[in-house]
Amino acid sequence: MGRTKAEIHPSMASQHTATAQAAQPLTLDGVTHSYGTGFAVDNVTLEVKGGELVALLGPSGCGKTTLLRIVAGFISQTNGKVIIGDRPIDVLPPNRREIGIVFQNYALFPHMTVAENIAYGLAARGESRAVQAERVAEMLATVRMEGFADRKPRQLSGGQQQRVALARALAIRPRILLLDEPFAALDKNLRLDMQIEIKRLQRQFALTAIMVTHDQDEAMSIADRIAVMSHGKIEQLGSPVEIYDEPATLFVNNFIGSSNLLKGRVEAVGSDGYRVALESGAVWTLAAKGRFEAGAPVLVSVRPEQMVLADEAAPDRLPVALKLSLPIGGALIHDATAAGGEDIKIAVPRRPGALSTGPGAAFAALAPHARPSLFPAASS
Amino acid sequence: MSQRSTPADISFNLTVGLIAGIAILILVAPVLIVIATSFTTTQALRFPPPGLSLRWYGELFDPVRSAPIHTAALNSLWVAGWATVIGSVLSVLAALAITRVSRPSARALEASFLSPLVLPTLSYGLAALMFFSVLGIRPSLNLLIAGHLVVIAPFVFRTTLASLTQLDPALLEASANLGASRFYSFRRITLPLITPGIAAGAFLAFIASMDNVPVSLFLSTARTSMLPIRMWGMMESTLDVRIAAIAGVLIVAILVLMVVMDRFTGLTRRVSA
Ligand SMILES: Nc1ncnc2c1ncn2[C@@H]1O[C@H](COP(=O)(O)OP(=O)(O)OP(=O)(O)O)[C@@H](O)[C@H]1O
Ligand SMILES: [Mg+2]
Repeated sequence: MGRTKAEIHPSMASQHTATAQAAQPLTLDGVTHSYGTGFAVDNVTLEVKGGELVALLGPSGCGKTTLLRIVAGFISQTNGKVIIGDRPIDVLPPNRREIGIVFQNYALFPHMTVAENIAYGLAARGESRAVQAERVAEMLATVRMEGFADRKPRQLSGGQQQRVALARALAIRPRILLLDEPFAALDKNLRLDMQIEIKRLQRQFALTAIMVTHDQDEAMSIADRIAVMSHGKIEQLGSPVEIYDEPATLFVNNFIGSSNLLKGRVEAVGSDGYRVALESGAVWTLAAKGRFEAGAPVLVSVRPEQMVLADEAAPDRLPVALKLSLPIGGALIHDATAAGGEDIKIAVPRRPGALSTGPGAAFAALAPHARPSLFPAASS
Repeated sequence: MSQRSTPADISFNLTVGLIAGIAILILVAPVLIVIATSFTTTQALRFPPPGLSLRWYGELFDPVRSAPIHTAALNSLWVAGWATVIGSVLSVLAALAITRVSRPSARALEASFLSPLVLPTLSYGLAALMFFSVLGIRPSLNLLIAGHLVVIAPFVFRTTLASLTQLDPALLEASANLGASRFYSFRRITLPLITPGIAAGAFLAFIASMDNVPVSLFLSTARTSMLPIRMWGMMESTLDVRIAAIAGVLIVAILVLMVVMDRFTGLTRRVSA
């Protein structure tokens, strides 16, 4: 598209201060919704700070869209409150909430031009044509779509449609921006462009935003905080780094990134952490969060990049049988089987020129700064 | 797709060709014959015409000699026009109401709105005549409008309902989200997007009224004669070539109207969908 990816330049910074308004926090207080049977959203409490972008991340059917539609006012929740700033908005119909939404399929009005689409919110408010025209020009410039004003939506590519959808949502100067799987319909290269674009606009307009996604990479790259949802509940709320490095539950651990789960038992609880004997042979001392008694069965979760391979045996190394090695980008992924039968993936930086190695025996150990997570095992 | 045709391809092509041939034979050929006949120089309906002239068209448009035909045609246009307008408004309102509610009663209502399409129109014409005479209402053009209304409204109802169900609900949500009231959303989103559907239905309804015989047969009188009935009368008594000329005018008018409609609404797509 011939655009640069360096998004922040001086003119933009001044625009930033010009349009920045006091960003309002969005609070969900005990929001619960049932469509009849069971809870699609179950007692969700979440505070999105002013100007913050929170990603709702979770598997299909966990209630992300439902939560977003409650905030937008399309469905009224069974229970709980939605508050913008310090004002509950539950009594307001959707057209009085001043919340911008980018719909999954953009929902552009097919019979209107790009300019008419963008002006729609202002026209509905009875703004004069002059004001509309001015805002349309400004918004087209903001999303870099000058020159497309007279096209119909069907004459635009997916990425261009999304820019128009963004411009239309932002034209009403919303307090809150909601994005439902905004990148799902875009191909991979365009996705990155649009992620940067949305992040830039969200900053520029100081918008409090919620983005729904079931793509963890997307959530990790653009969200300030991530709320991982499962079965209508928020399992964990935290920064991308917290979510990745310190998953609060086994569900979050398994949903985010890939990890090796090793069965073990707590042998002793010391000042430097838990000493865990793995079923597959090694004994590790782990400074993990959580409370475990000596003798408790546990699952140790280690990310593939937190493990290294060694040639010689040692008490903190577990013997593995290497099956397959695949170069993936800058890493070499070893697929191995531990003595206890568990499948283990080990990612090591690939030395230039190094190719896949064949099958063989080796020993897997923790990388120097690895911080595996510990979870209680259901039973041993 | 493939270059070489298999026996299946051949039989498929044969079947399609046969059906197309039959269609041309029994749909297109009569139309061509009647048009050709209308240009005859002879006194009576004759095919093939021994010579061509505009004699009968001149006769047809003669304000004195063809006055009864003109009256009948104007009556038919008047009735079809009003029945279409009123029927369209009612049908659109009904369709809008029905798509709003998702209760099972809505489905029942939908069926009852469509029932005139399957009701034998002849029995309806008789029933309407008896009903109105019991009420003591004298036959008039207004009565004809009412009678036609019932049988043609379902056309508009059906196409409107189809366009409403195809309308993406996300568009209305987007509209509300941008601050539009319900009425504003209706005016700027719903109405423009269903207008082609309404227009297609109205076109069908207008045509259906124009050549409706069963209802007009019972509800029209000598003073409120309708074009198809008058044509039938002429057919029985005189075998006047003007009938062929009327048919020619109607066919051309409808073809022109159809091309115009197709330009604006994609009628053919809608009717076949
Ligand atoms: N209109 C509805 N009527 C009844 N149940 C519904 C309705 N919409 C959603 N549900 C149910 O509510 C639950 C949550 O649905 P929701 O659409 O919020 O999931 P989601 O997290 O957005 O999933 P996805 O990632 O697939 O979009 C699901 O179990 C779904 O079946
Ligand atoms: Mg969803």
